Amino acid sequence: MARSEPHSQKTMLTVKRYGFAVVSVAVALLPALLLQHFAFHDVELPLFLFAIALTAWHVGGGPAALSIVLSSICFDYYFAPPLHSLRMTPADVPGVAVLVCFAVLITRFSTVRRRIEGDLVQARDKLQVEVAERTQQASLLNLTHDTIFVRDMSDTITYWNRGAEELYGWTAAEAVGKRSHDLLQTVFPESLDNIGAELVRTGRWEGEVRHVKADGTAVMVSSRWSLRRNQANQPLAVLETNNDITERKRREEEVRGLNQELEKRSSALEASNKELEAFAYSVSHDLRAPLRHMVGFAELLQKNAAAQLDQKSQRYMGIILDSAKRMGTLIDDLLAFSRIGRVETQKAPVNLDHLVKEALSEVQPETKGRDIVWKIDKLPDCYGDRSMLRLVLINLLSNAIKFTRPRPKAEIEVGCANGNSNEVVVFVRDNGAGFDMKYVDKLFGVFQRLHHVDAFEGTGIGLATVQRVIHRHGGKVRAEGALDQGATFYFSVPKI
Amino acid sequence: MVEDDPKDVELTLTALEDYHLANEVVVVRDGEEALDYLTCRNAYATRSTGNPAVMLLDLKLPKVDGLEVLRQVKSDENLKLIPVVVLTSSHEEKDLVTSYRLGVNAYVVKPVDFHQFVNAIKELGAFWAIINAPPPGS
Repeated sequence: MARSEPHSQKTMLTVKRYGFAVVSVAVALLPALLLQHFAFHDVELPLFLFAIALTAWHVGGGPAALSIVLSSICFDYYFAPPLHSLRMTPADVPGVAVLVCFAVLITRFSTVRRRIEGDLVQARDKLQVEVAERTQQASLLNLTHDTIFVRDMSDTITYWNRGAEELYGWTAAEAVGKRSHDLLQTVFPESLDNIGAELVRTGRWEGEVRHVKADGTAVMVSSRWSLRRNQANQPLAVLETNNDITERKRREEEVRGLNQELEKRSSALEASNKELEAFAYSVSHDLRAPLRHMVGFAELLQKNAAAQLDQKSQRYMGIILDSAKRMGTLIDDLLAFSRIGRVETQKAPVNLDHLVKEALSEVQPETKGRDIVWKIDKLPDCYGDRSMLRLVLINLLSNAIKFTRPRPKAEIEVGCANGNSNEVVVFVRDNGAGFDMKYVDKLFGVFQRLHHVDAFEGTGIGLATVQRVIHRHGGKVRAEGALDQGATFYFSVPKI
Repeated sequence: MVEDDPKDVELTLTALEDYHLANEVVVVRDGEEALDYLTCRNAYATRSTGNPAVMLLDLKLPKVDGLEVLRQVKSDENLKLIPVVVLTSSHEEKDLVTSYRLGVNAYVVKPVDFHQFVNAIKELGAFWAIINAPPPGS
């Protein structure tokens, strides 16, 4: 039922149209006949033309054609002699011809007009849709929080979105029509001529610009301009999008200030380091000389006065000499220890296996006459300062050798323990004198010793050195042990 | 021997005694005197000509520094033939490097231990004065 509706509607329309044609001809015919009765001649033709024109104008080409045909027939029948017959004489032909031509002309005008009207309506509808779309887009521009405004080539503001209102504090009503550079008191990073040139050349410009808000506060904005050209490729308007970067600039300033502070501090630190160098140099040189003289002349004294000195005096001489020598050793150790802190580490990949071999050959003299069983595991490569790590190994091995002296058969093991994914843990284990775990915290202190000097010699700087070096590599040191049951020392270094 | 500390001078000479070399040693007390001696100037204008067979040079000297003396000696056409042994308390890396850069023949650190010191001096003396053939003109 529903489908036939539009169909029947269409039929109805067609019927109406052609019906109109018929009716209009009829309406023209009646007055024409009347006038004929009252002997008014030559007025029939215009009447029919009128009907045809009316039909063409209101209803269109098809019905107009019908009305032309009907009018011709009526004319021929009613008004062209012989009357009341459809026969035509040659005298009728011009009349009929004129009628037909004129009618066709009018019909043509009408159809053209109708077509134009149709086009116009279509164009208007299309335009309306476009306008609706544009308005929607424009309102989207107003939706964004970004600051957008448009100005023409004389820098007068023509559009000012909500984002711009929010940032600058001027409403669109206040802003539109004003010169943007005046309104915002713009300060440009380079000359306007340069900016203008770039804008015209590339169609874009980007830069950081200083603006002043309505309330007088200044803002730094990151500004992006787009040039719009018209059909003739001439500059038409500039679209400007701004982002408030005041906060970012402030933070950059802060960072710059902090950096300067850092530079000052680091150069102060360098100066301090240099002072330390000079200090260490002085210690190394100037302290040693008197020591040397003490030892030297005490020995000479011993030699010269050996006969005159009694047992006690000789012993006192010995003590003086030993003390001086010990002081020398302490000074040397302290200097070496301080050098580790002063000198730059030179980090590189280090083959620990090679390093252990080197350290072993270095401590070889200390193993003379000793029965030592070595157990050296394969070690992975690590990353660090080769000479410093060598010192670590030498110290640990030297300690192991020293403290296993009471054992008839010493066992020293060097191996690798489980570390996490980015460090290597190495240990040196011995079966020597060990230590009491309750003093483990003191173990790595400078000049700290847990054993008597008579039992084991040494200044107590070895482990402190190990700790310092490992700490400079960002690693950790650890010790485990028990009295008379040996000790194990662990250290960690970064993996390659 | 260029050495400002009299105690070190005494110790050194005592050690050289064993080889009877003590009498052959000319001792100067600072860098300026050393250069005067080597170039036969001022106080040493009348000394008998000829270069020493070896020069024991301390680094820490008043007036003209040991390294400066070394530099001058090694850049003088006549003097650069003289073997120079730096005998110093310092075993700082930079002194070592600078000395060798300037062309020193030996660098000996004075040991604190007296025995070692005496041995070192003896060996030095034995080598340079006896074993080593001195340069011409010494």
